Amino acid sequence: MTEVQLDLTVNGRRHRVSVPAHHSLLDVLRDELELTGTKTNCLEAECGVCTVVVDGKSVASCTMLAAQCQGREVVTIEGLQDGGDLHPLQEAFVEHGAVQCGYCIPGMIMTAKAFLDENPRPTREAVREAIAGTLCRCTGYQKIVDAIMAASQRLVQQGERP
Amino acid sequence: MKVEFLEPQSLQDAVAMAKAKGVGARFVAGGTDLVIQMRKTGVLPEAIINLQRLRALGEIKHDADGFSLGALVTHRQIESEDRFLGGLQALRESACVIGGHQVRNVATLGGNLCNASPAADMVPILLCFNADVTLVGSSGSRNIPLAAFIEGPRKTQRAHDEVMTDIRFPKPAGKFASAFLKGGRRRAMEISIVAMAGVVSMSAGGTMTDVRLAMGAAGPKAIRLAQAEKFLEGKVPSKAVLEEAGKLAAAAASPIDDVRASASFRRHLVGVYARRVIELGWNRISEAGNDRSAA
Ligand SMILES: Cc1cc2nc3c(=O)[nH]c(=O)nc-3n(C[C@H](O)[C@H](O)[C@H](O)COP(=O)(O)OP(=O)(O)OC[C@H]3O[C@@H](n4cnc5c(N)ncnc54)[C@H](O)[C@@H]3O)c2cc1C
Ligand code: FES
Ligand code: FES
Repeated sequence: MTEVQLDLTVNGRRHRVSVPAHHSLLDVLRDELELTGTKTNCLEAECGVCTVVVDGKSVASCTMLAAQCQGREVVTIEGLQDGGDLHPLQEAFVEHGAVQCGYCIPGMIMTAKAFLDENPRPTREAVREAIAGTLCRCTGYQKIVDAIMAASQRLVQQGERP
Repeated sequence: MKVEFLEPQSLQDAVAMAKAKGVGARFVAGGTDLVIQMRKTGVLPEAIINLQRLRALGEIKHDADGFSLGALVTHRQIESEDRFLGGLQALRESACVIGGHQVRNVATLGGNLCNASPAADMVPILLCFNADVTLVGSSGSRNIPLAAFIEGPRKTQRAHDEVMTDIRFPKPAGKFASAFLKGGRRRAMEISIVAMAGVVSMSAGGTMTDVRLAMGAAGPKAIRLAQAEKFLEGKVPSKAVLEEAGKLAAAAASPIDDVRASASFRRHLVGVYARRVIELGWNRISEAGNDRSAA
């Protein structure tokens, strides 16, 4: 037995992949499944560009073994839009111009997604703390926090949450 | 080189697999230390043994004597544990400064202790609470004080086939408070350049009693500050008393120079943080009703 046979659920779709045991979830998402929306950078869980949501929680996919994701639900930036409609977080980032080079944005949005799912009505301070593990070298965070706050209000209004 | 991936469904299986594979096998919990080490060193184990199916090790329990935290409990679970409000709040304070959300969501207490970094942030407060760790291996189960378990940087008493199963500590008697402070260059996402934890009780006469102080990141391993503790016993934390306690704490440090801070700055911070932790703990205990940890 050389590689691990995995049954991975990514964005609601099941994939059968065969991967070396020490490969990360990031390796599999980008190289095997060609889901390159998830970015790669430090590979040390320091920068957050590789953030995806696993079983409802944000994780750095660069330090999570793909083999440990067997039987778990993985959501990447590609899985956020719904039949062509952007997710309220994606819309808010566009509306608030919360993007410059864009490299950090997929990870930033996935970090915010998991956070808002657990904290529908956060304070600005809580949002800043929530994205502390996701670095942006362009925007200075102001507009990113604005966008996340706006998205939280929209999500609450949409009645997606009580 | 091919790495095998093993998924034990029980503790007994995990131990048996580790014994069969020998020193070439590594356990993985959250993977936040192991995966980076594999990538940085290029050294791959012969087998990776996944502990995450051992769900029973992911619970926080308590009884009349104290608390028991499973080795797979995540920092996220600790920082959001309601039983760790009140007197035990330094546990939450220690857990909530470890990495960002992405790290805390997966990184475990057992991994933090077994990895034995001198800067491991959960260690100082657990030393203050006189925690024991339980190890289960092919020759049985044993309990050892955390203080003895960690021997030095990345060195522990754990044999290669031993799984850490849980971390226990007795609840301090009576009314007590705890505090944890960490010094880094920024507030979030920073390896500690000094970490300080303290526990203090108040005597009937209104003085400090059962004072416990421990520091991390300022020597090869986190340690209790016995001299400062002894000095503080029976006193009230006046400015002069805090000053002296800070000096005793700094004298116990054996910090290193590195990219994050010089040894002399670290030593200075040890004094400052020792004073602040005692002050914070004392302020907390002076506020009424701080013994809710009994919940
Ligand atoms: C970006 C980033 C920031 C960080 N910041 C901090 C910080 O501020 N403070 C801090 O203290 N740490 C920090 N860490 C370190 C790390 O997250 C913690 O040490 C974490 O708790 C390790 O747990 P894990 O489950 O991920 O360990 P793993 O990587 O799974 O395991 C670590 C080691 O312990 C062994 N092991 C794990 N569990 C067991 C067990 N139950 N029995 C036997 N052996 C076991 C493994 O074989 C391995 O050798 C940071 C890490 C990253 C990537
Ligand atoms: S690439 Fe994963 S956190 Fe930086
Ligand atoms: S927009 Fe460039 S890193 Fe965030």
